Amino acid sequence: MTRAIDFANITLRDALDLAVIVEEEAKERYGELADQLELHHNEDAARFFRHMVHVESLHEHRLAERRKHLFGDQPSSVTRAMIFDVEAPDYDEVRATMTVRRALEVSLRAEHKAYEFFDRALGEVADPGIRKMFEELRRDEKEHERRVRDEIAKLPPEPVMTADDVIDEPVAH
Amino acid sequence: MSISTPPVLPKYQAKDFKSELKPIWCPGCGDFGVLQAIYRALAAIGRPPHEIAFVSGIGCSSRIPGYTTAYGFNSVHGRALPIAQGIKLANPDLLVLVAGGDGDGFSIGGGHVPHAIRRNTDLTYIVMDNQIYGLTKGQLSPTSHRGLKTVTSEYGSLEEPVNPLMYVLAYGANFVAQGTPADMAGLAQVIEEAIRYPGFAFVNVQSPCVTFGEDDWQVKEHRASMKPLVKVGHDPSDRIAAMSIAQHYGRELHTGVFYRNPTPPPTLDGLVRERQREMSAPPASRATILDRFRVK
Repeated sequence: MTRAIDFANITLRDALDLAVIVEEEAKERYGELADQLELHHNEDAARFFRHMVHVESLHEHRLAERRKHLFGDQPSSVTRAMIFDVEAPDYDEVRATMTVRRALEVSLRAEHKAYEFFDRALGEVADPGIRKMFEELRRDEKEHERRVRDEIAKLPPEPVMTADDVIDEPVAH
Repeated sequence: MSISTPPVLPKYQAKDFKSELKPIWCPGCGDFGVLQAIYRALAAIGRPPHEIAFVSGIGCSSRIPGYTTAYGFNSVHGRALPIAQGIKLANPDLLVLVAGGDGDGFSIGGGHVPHAIRRNTDLTYIVMDNQIYGLTKGQLSPTSHRGLKTVTSEYGSLEEPVNPLMYVLAYGANFVAQGTPADMAGLAQVIEEAIRYPGFAFVNVQSPCVTFGEDDWQVKEHRASMKPLVKVGHDPSDRIAAMSIAQHYGRELHTGVFYRNPTPPPTLDGLVRERQREMSAPPASRATILDRFRVK
């Protein structure tokens, strides 16, 4: 069950494990969203979410390597039951007919959620080593937000008519 | 809690209850969140998938058993509860979950709900209440509010909706809760509590339909407006207080446990098990049997 995390007493090992599962959760969610949109033949938005699976997977791998380097195979005290939707986009954000721009905006909000998570945690963390790591992760999330904004800026403006105006409701059933 | 304490890791994780089937709900559907909450609740309960039976009726939400690794029975429209009760009586060791929509539970299946409640069979009934028939593309359902316009009701509903919370409270349900996918942690918690409750437990989940529902951003509205019962000082052992709050169904979104009978009555499966034990005991002597029927 979801439990409040005591950031004031968290160890570096647990903090790293936490960061890993945050990325793992986001990776899985992007995969689910890509599956959903592929099912509804929205290949463009699905491709972007599939790309995000790759991005989150790289982040997860990088953090997992760091954890392994510092703590080897020590058992983890952190489980997925302790977090809910930290960096994972909300399920209700997607729509069958969404454009790539909308998909990027979903990702932007997800990155911002993660930024806020580490920002809130930093309000409680006292250990200098963990503070340093969380500051780095917070900075990373900010950087990801910037990159997504840059990508959005490259896209053409949304058409006046949306797909909702011209096509029927989803027919996966 | 501190996560730096020695690890006491759960036996199962949410992923252990996730099947290989990919949900085919519309992207954005509230049921995705409900499914995640169910995975989490089952992981917290810690029973292996093969000890769980998941029964459903017909509708979008009734696809849910197939998305879990538990035994599943996607049954007949409105008949999930009788089938689930039969499963529990035949094999009381199984943990039995029932899922369906508001149409399945309060229209065609509405007559089964009171009987499941009065029998008090130990099962958990999760209703994904989207106030519309989504699978058949947007007809009014029993919980559609008056005035709701859909693709097949251009002038809006003329009828008052069923209030699922009042319905089950009035019939004597001993555990009644409500949740929303806008608060997946809270939803997982009430589902877990419902499963742990010994007897019939009811969880109404306001799970928006993003395709045929009234508002495209209902989950966001839920997030902004929901009122957790723990924060309003509600006493969940008080049925009358629960009914008083339940009257606001459709106007306000209260989440959490409305009612939990602090002294759970016997369950039907428990009583049947007792009776079976009596019947399997060695037969009484002739004198004892005659004595039982002696006119006093």
